[in-house]
Amino acid sequence: MLASLMPLAHGQETQRDNAANMTASPQWQKILSDARGETVYFYAWGGSKPVNDYLRWAAKEIASRYKVRLRHVKVADISEAVSRLKAESGKQSAIDLLWINGENFSFLKQQELLLGNLWSSIPNSAMLAVQALSLQNDFGVPIDGFEVPWGVGQFNMIANPNIFNLNIAGKVNDSKITPTIILKAAQQYPNRISYPRPPEFHGTTFLKQLLVGLSHNDKRLFEYATPEAQAKLLPLLWDYLDQLHPLIWQQGRAFPSSNTEQLSLLQQNKLDMAVSFNPNQLIKEQQEKRLPPSAQRFHFAQGAITNSHNLAIPKGAQSPAGAKVVINFLLSEDAQKQKLNGSWGDPTVITPLLDPASTLPSQQELHSSWQQVIEEQWQQKYGA
Amino acid sequence: MFGIIVGLWPSVAISWRDLIEFFTYNGIATSVLSTLFVSLTAPLVALYISFMVYSQYRFNPRWQALEKRLAPLLSLPHLAVALGLVYLFSSGGLLWSSLWGIFGATAPQWLGLPHKSLVTLLLAMSIKEVPFFLLIFSALGRQLPIKSWLLQGRALGYREITSWWLLVFPVLLKHSRLALLAAMAYTLSVLDIALLVGPNIPELYAVVLYNWQTGFTVDEQALAFVGNLVLIVMLSILIAGIYTHEWWAVRNLRHHAIRRTSLKIIRVSRLFSHWLGLFSLLTLSILITFLIWSLGWNNQQNMLSTTPIDWSFGLWRDEWFFMRGPLLNSLYIALVSSIVGVLTTLLALELQRQAKRYLPDYIWLMAILLPQLSMVYGWQISHTALNGSYHTGWVVISHLPFTFAYSYLVLRGPFQSLDRHYELVAASFGCSYWQQFWKVRLMLLRPAMLSALAIAFSVSVAQYIPTLMIGAGRVSTITTEAVAIASGNEQSITAVYMLVQASLPFVAFFVASVVSQRLRGSFDVSHQ
Repeated sequence: MLASLMPLAHGQETQRDNAANMTASPQWQKILSDARGETVYFYAWGGSKPVNDYLRWAAKEIASRYKVRLRHVKVADISEAVSRLKAESGKQSAIDLLWINGENFSFLKQQELLLGNLWSSIPNSAMLAVQALSLQNDFGVPIDGFEVPWGVGQFNMIANPNIFNLNIAGKVNDSKITPTIILKAAQQYPNRISYPRPPEFHGTTFLKQLLVGLSHNDKRLFEYATPEAQAKLLPLLWDYLDQLHPLIWQQGRAFPSSNTEQLSLLQQNKLDMAVSFNPNQLIKEQQEKRLPPSAQRFHFAQGAITNSHNLAIPKGAQSPAGAKVVINFLLSEDAQKQKLNGSWGDPTVITPLLDPASTLPSQQELHSSWQQVIEEQWQQKYGA
Repeated sequence: MFGIIVGLWPSVAISWRDLIEFFTYNGIATSVLSTLFVSLTAPLVALYISFMVYSQYRFNPRWQALEKRLAPLLSLPHLAVALGLVYLFSSGGLLWSSLWGIFGATAPQWLGLPHKSLVTLLLAMSIKEVPFFLLIFSALGRQLPIKSWLLQGRALGYREITSWWLLVFPVLLKHSRLALLAAMAYTLSVLDIALLVGPNIPELYAVVLYNWQTGFTVDEQALAFVGNLVLIVMLSILIAGIYTHEWWAVRNLRHHAIRRTSLKIIRVSRLFSHWLGLFSLLTLSILITFLIWSLGWNNQQNMLSTTPIDWSFGLWRDEWFFMRGPLLNSLYIALVSSIVGVLTTLLALELQRQAKRYLPDYIWLMAILLPQLSMVYGWQISHTALNGSYHTGWVVISHLPFTFAYSYLVLRGPFQSLDRHYELVAASFGCSYWQQFWKVRLMLLRPAMLSALAIAFSVSVAQYIPTLMIGAGRVSTITTEAVAIASGNEQSITAVYMLVQASLPFVAFFVASVVSQRLRGSFDVSHQ
């Protein structure tokens, strides 16, 4: 038992040492001194009070520790920041730091609008839990040092307990669910289930999870979506949805526009379930008394699709040193601990704080080509 | 102007294939048609309701009460009205569940507004636009000799209500073209409300277009360009709709006037004599809803249960510290841009009067009519190309086209329909041209100018895209904060920000109505 823990503990110490060594290096000391007095404009989604509160805390800490001023520029949709970077086309930018992942990252990386070598220049990125979590790729696109993981999302569902705790074939289920359970629940409780309308990111992920479940984890989902593979696998999903949609909220003639809207419908007791990428969301909502204590968290039996959300610096940033200092702080043990234990509850990405017990079993993300295929065909079949 | 071209210009080459892809996009026809339907119907419904209310209240002591009570609903953001409506009246909403709750039963599912549908959107938009049209009518009404038309109508043997429809309505309709157009253009392109209460199978056109505009693939960029063109075509259809409706309405009324048949709509009109009460109740319930949300109440706490609800001012206390800066920015930007907007409008109108040539309205209203996202994106490109700093001044400049357009639409009618007689009298006293302008024209226009200022002020406060894109986060206003926060659908904090956001226009509309009533005391007496 002890022996098996040893390598982990050992790895942890080396990662900490590496970070400490890098911190002491003259390069980093120069960045720290360059950063003094700078203001960092951080473009990040502003729709979550816990995240906003966390960034207010971080801004206070960063100001007192490094004399760097962190300004959270709240946006309703991060695509607004991406469109600004496009308009500036690599010249001097109004953005110093941004919170992105997925196709936003893939676009900016491909357009060469991001500053590179972040992992090698920011000391605390040495502590990233690259062994335990898949942090090297962002939706199938190699990160290559153009962004730094900040937190982890794991796809899960929050639901009223009665709905999924069905006694199927004599076996009482735990928190794992399958497409079949969802369909049975929809039959028993019509109008109470829904999912965000794709191409909303959470809605598409819900479909991906269903597809993994329905195809019993077919390995072709993790390779390029060839026409043959599509013809073989996608009908599983569409047949299933054909059965499900007449039973869900508004008979599938309308869907929540986002996961947050779905959550508020759950809070208002108009739905019995919501989807989330934050595995700790349920606990946090219950602490705030916005969901009843009886609500439960569920995840798909094959595992929760897991991906990271990240921080990147535009090439034209006016305070790149300050931005690096901010990233370094946000990856520090203090900041990651506060993020996990505070009102946000976002899981950590650094090895020293990693707690295997609290993470959901993870499911590999599908090959990125499936995303567009699923979204387009969904639109074609159910979008009108 | 340059920005408009830059922003609308396609960043990719457009081929036939893109056009085909656009028109074969699943559900595009329904999207376009239902969007056109709502954009045309909601403002017209609002206009008719406003006219019926106006005719019931205008020469009535209750008019002043109405003018004052318009302020709260005028200042609530559209999104807040939609949120409140759905929360209160949707199936399973607060109203039905508490009504049934009293008897310990659950309200039936079919009862109430659907959460997301064309009807819900139509209702939200028309309710919200009614006070806007009432404000426009009241600005117009002070310039038009409605009283004497009604007297003439009586001399011809019409009942007063018939005279309103036959004599006043056609004129008000003609002068409200711009306001109608603005309301239609807004409904056409509104995004947040479409997302929240609009149908999404298929999605409304604004949402489809937004998804393309924010997409990155070459295909999406091409679709977005075609989409913007289609949006402009849709606008021209709406403009044609305004003229067709006007032609149809006037022809119908004339028909009735000649044949002396009774107007069916008169019977409907009477219903609206109780409008003020209902309207105040609705506004009040929306406000109370937001207030209790902001104090931390949510559906987990039952009003009827015995456990005490933990009300808390904590959210207000926490956020107030962070709201003061944005609030002051909003106030400053809105003050400057609304005053400059109204002054430029007066200048534009006066120059046109001197030239005896009025340019087509759509030129002046360009800022309202063109797709905002693309247009401001163009400004952003120009702004960064000029290496412009991110100063409040730039944000004010970016608001000017909007404050100008709205004050133009409020002021044009009153400015043109002003009785020339007074200026002739002034001229006979030896007043110079400019003395006539300052001492007579502007004085007579004061009430309309106040309405224009209040509307321009609230328009400036409501700007999200220009503020964010030109201010670059250096200039945050209460609206940039509120819109970002509302995107998270957390009801308590959204409520706090929306109430604060509404407070600024509220003060503006309230002050405008009080001051204009004071002004009326000084000279309106003799004209009523």
